[in-house]
Amino acid sequence: MRQKIKDILSDQQLGKPVYSASLAVFRTVFGFMILFSTLRFWSRGWIEELYIKPDFFFSYYGFEWVKHLGEYTYILFIICGISALLFAIGLFYRYAAVVLFCSFTYIELMDKTNYLNHYYFVSLVLFLMMWLPAHVNFSVDAWRKPSISKRYIPRWTVGSIRMMMAIVYVYAGLAKLNSDWLINAMPLRLWLPANNDMPVIGPLFNHLWVAYLFSWFGAAYDLFIAFFLLNKRTRPYAYATVVVFHLLTAALFPIGVFPYVMIVSALVFFESEDADKFVQMMKSLRFSLPVDENKRIYIFAPLAKKWVIPMFAVFFVIQLALPWRYLLNKGELFWTEEGYRFSWRVMLMEKMGYAQFMVKDKETGERVAVNNNDFLTRNQEKMMATQSDFIVQYAQFLKEHYKQKGMHEPQVHATVYVAMNGRRSRLYVDTSVDLAKEEDSWKHKEWILAFNDNIYGL
Amino acid sequence: MVKKYRIGAMAAALLMLLAIACNKASDDVSPSNDLDRQPMLSNYANNYIVPAYADMVAKLTTLRSDIQTFTNAPDNTTKEAAINSFRAAYTTWQKVDMLEFGPAEDVLLRSYMNTYPVTVSKLDGNISSGSYDLETFGSKDAQGFPAIDYLLNGLDVSMYTTDANASNRKQYLLAVVDKMLEKVNKVNSDWATYKDNFIANTSTDANSSISIMVNNYVMYYERYLRGGKVGLPVGAMTGIAKADISEAYYSQELAKEFAVTALTAVRDFYSGKSYSGASSGEGMKSYLAALGTTDNNGMLMADVVETEMNQAITAVSSLNGTIVEAVNNNRTQVLEAYEEVQDVVPLLKVDMVSAFSISITYTDNDGD
Repeated sequence: MRQKIKDILSDQQLGKPVYSASLAVFRTVFGFMILFSTLRFWSRGWIEELYIKPDFFFSYYGFEWVKHLGEYTYILFIICGISALLFAIGLFYRYAAVVLFCSFTYIELMDKTNYLNHYYFVSLVLFLMMWLPAHVNFSVDAWRKPSISKRYIPRWTVGSIRMMMAIVYVYAGLAKLNSDWLINAMPLRLWLPANNDMPVIGPLFNHLWVAYLFSWFGAAYDLFIAFFLLNKRTRPYAYATVVVFHLLTAALFPIGVFPYVMIVSALVFFESEDADKFVQMMKSLRFSLPVDENKRIYIFAPLAKKWVIPMFAVFFVIQLALPWRYLLNKGELFWTEEGYRFSWRVMLMEKMGYAQFMVKDKETGERVAVNNNDFLTRNQEKMMATQSDFIVQYAQFLKEHYKQKGMHEPQVHATVYVAMNGRRSRLYVDTSVDLAKEEDSWKHKEWILAFNDNIYGL
Repeated sequence: MVKKYRIGAMAAALLMLLAIACNKASDDVSPSNDLDRQPMLSNYANNYIVPAYADMVAKLTTLRSDIQTFTNAPDNTTKEAAINSFRAAYTTWQKVDMLEFGPAEDVLLRSYMNTYPVTVSKLDGNISSGSYDLETFGSKDAQGFPAIDYLLNGLDVSMYTTDANASNRKQYLLAVVDKMLEKVNKVNSDWATYKDNFIANTSTDANSSISIMVNNYVMYYERYLRGGKVGLPVGAMTGIAKADISEAYYSQELAKEFAVTALTAVRDFYSGKSYSGASSGEGMKSYLAALGTTDNNGMLMADVVETEMNQAITAVSSLNGTIVEAVNNNRTQVLEAYEEVQDVVPLLKVDMVSAFSISITYTDNDGD
């Protein structure tokens, strides 16, 4: 067994030297992408809107210690932006990578209202990048300290990034193998007509068959694109497909920088040799980052090698397992959303809810109907109204709020209606349950009412 | 060799998926033009909204002239005439209230027209001091229809003849109707220019015509119709009935009629009926029907919404006596009617808005 692992890690297999330019170029484009995303976020006033204006934030289970920072959120974004820039140009790379991972992830952890799969993807990639020698070429660091400049790195370093990308795609594809997506063309049959005023292709979206075509093509794309990118012969066509596919989704859906993140990240699938040729070519440009000239191979320090590789192995095992955790819960995943996040389930549901909370004084019987907009932003309200873990957190918040206002043992009841993928809305939460007594946990929430329909597949 | 085989298999799988996808698609008969939003927006603007504001201006102009006649020569006859045109104008308002977006939202029309209950002490204070500014936020509950309701239906003619403040009161009455007319005139003329943009903006993002129209229409239904006209007086949420905050409190026989008129207007607007009711065109109903969402029994949601609206209309119409009487004497019946009105809220706010996939914010999302 031990020998087998050694073989796999040997110079012939995972340890085989590949051109360091591959990871270096990925570092550069990925870093600039995050910088752009941060600037975009700022320029749209979202720091104010999402992290300063709200009075209440929905924390992730187990991350309640992550506090919002008020006005200091701007400083956090400045730190994030600067470290992204340093990361991109490869200056003080290790520090930059750690700071970038921490600041970016902290921002995401402040309010789960803003959870997006591609932010999660960025955090995971940054975690991997902290440990990888992405700065030994095409970086300021390699020029500052020529001793670290290397032409080759072990294959598994680039491989781990590719593996991460492949997991995203394949799991996103698997998640589409369900009856709503494939048989009913939901939610695309609702989303596409909303874009029927687009120039040229808009009128196509009034045809139902286009929604089916997009659904089936989308599923096939996600399932297989990583393999076509891995294969040398299909790669150019696959990459062209990546560009077209993601640009189309960018035009159609409000998914922000996600398409661009994927377009630039998919570059990592190209042969490291091509990346090396590319940076050699860049060398002639005046503004190029320094390019390694020698033929040295990067070798992990024994201690680092001893820890990093097993850690990556554990990381990927978790990544492969996490999307299946929903199987442990009963109830329809799309309805309860217990185990929905962190599983690459993207664009699968048109889900909307309406939540009316009632707080009652246990002693006097006095009742108050809560106006959600007194406490939540529209975005928070929208997210809260369809997700059980938000509902229970909000109920806890209401209990505390009205207790401070002098209510005796406030009881919180909610009338929540949820409609999903074109089905008629139905009651989501048992109205007789006092949510003030409930807590968020990983266990199934018994007070979520039955979905009363079936979605077949994964 | 193995590699080649694998690629071949993958390509075949992909082709097969596409083939099945195309096969599936043959279910589709023909694309529906009802999915185009421009005809819907045009129908709303040209056949409902613009005529509605024109009518509102006309009704208020008549009211103003009758109030002028009344204040020139206050007696029971001139008062009766003013009350009649007050009722006509207030009834028209029930068909206009749901249009609080664009120009109407810009001037906060509703708050000038129909903030109730009227605060009588504030209104009396304004009259006795003779100095007031109806433009300010603080004056909203001392003007509009509720103020005229009190001034015409709540007071004797003597208050306009022999009372110490008679002269100030007459002035105030005129000032109130003038302010309403000023605001409605502004909205009416703004729509002339706003209309083209409204019709042209066919997207579904947060600032699109359909988004602001539907969101404000739904908000009106939930807060001002369900809440204001039924929920608050009967105390549906709080458990405590407050009959004295019902609409048109000084002419109590009107409140129920207004609730029914407003519900009917909401239904007709949903169905795409013209303001006059004479014709019908593209609207939320036809658009929803074209999207084709159904309930568990396969009934189009577009029809379900209308059915539920009709049930709400029936329930409110069949309340015994006025709203105030019903709340005081037969609260259970009003609560049941409230439930019927409430049943429409999730259908509009959740089912319809979800099917339309209109955004409410500009932030990115994963579509979940």
